[in-house]
Amino acid sequence: MTTYKRVSGDAVEYEVFARKTRAEPLHQVGSVVAPDDDLAVAYARATYDEERWCEMAIVRKEHVIELWQPGEP
Amino acid sequence: MSLSDLVLSIADNKQMLGLRYAEWATRAPSLEADIAAAAMGLDDLGHSRVLYGCLEPLGEDPRGLDRESDPESLRALPYFDEPWSEWAQFVAANAILDAAFTVMIEACVNGSVEVLQHRLRKMLIEERYHFLHGRSWLRSGINPEPLNHAWREAIEWFGPPDGEIAALHKGGLLSMGPPHLRTRLEEQLETRAPKLQIDWKSWDGVRRRGRPGAIDRRTFEMLRGLDERKPEAV
Repeated sequence: MTTYKRVSGDAVEYEVFARKTRAEPLHQVGSVVAPDDDLAVAYARATYDEERWCEMAIVRKEHVIELWQPGEP
Repeated sequence: MSLSDLVLSIADNKQMLGLRYAEWATRAPSLEADIAAAAMGLDDLGHSRVLYGCLEPLGEDPRGLDRESDPESLRALPYFDEPWSEWAQFVAANAILDAAFTVMIEACVNGSVEVLQHRLRKMLIEERYHFLHGRSWLRSGINPEPLNHAWREAIEWFGPPDGEIAALHKGGLLSMGPPHLRTRLEEQLETRAPKLQIDWKSWDGVRRRGRPGAIDRRTFEMLRGLDERKPEAV
């Protein structure tokens, strides 16, 4: 039986954002894990390309600045 | 050799590349890499269909009746004759050979033939993701043997400096000839090809490969839709 890993090497998590029309805002469609930006781009495209997005972008999760989290006031 | 022969060579190679990518869709080092292998396989099989579809408007279809019965009638590189047994072979094909085919497609798109300008342009966009995937894995370091193997076959596939590809470039049908194609590939990959001695006298100019051979009969029948891949016994 195959044992699946998310990534080999140093893993960085990326959030994937996309939208179908210019009128709608970008929203999070998922995440990928990759050791660098190039591979993250390739993985995001391969994983989330099933819909006709007019825009897709990825951002390193560590670069997202959180104001508060669930459960915090 | 005509431009149709070249387009058929790109099509046959992309068909085999797509098949070999797909074989790794459950064997790559990570789940993301599995998905990427499947997606790239689908892309390249799709590209091969578009390329076969260009043969008729080009006015000359070099496919003979032997393509129904003879695996050696296919014009794919020796690199695709056997399934890849290690991930490094996948990476070398992805980084070097897939990029070499893309550089040739770029030469077609920027050449003077309208049908190729229009129909092949979208491939360049899709191939950008294959390139990023291959280059990233290449940078992570792989066994040099398949890498040298892939470089040799890419340079052989571009052909001799004074061969038919050079003539197609001279006639304006392609925007690049063999030396430019090689330089463009090296620039993209930010690396130099290894020093290679190529015996052009024994090189097969129709199949664009340096040694004889072909895929096995079963794979050939599967490509023709006459056989199915059976699950391996556990």
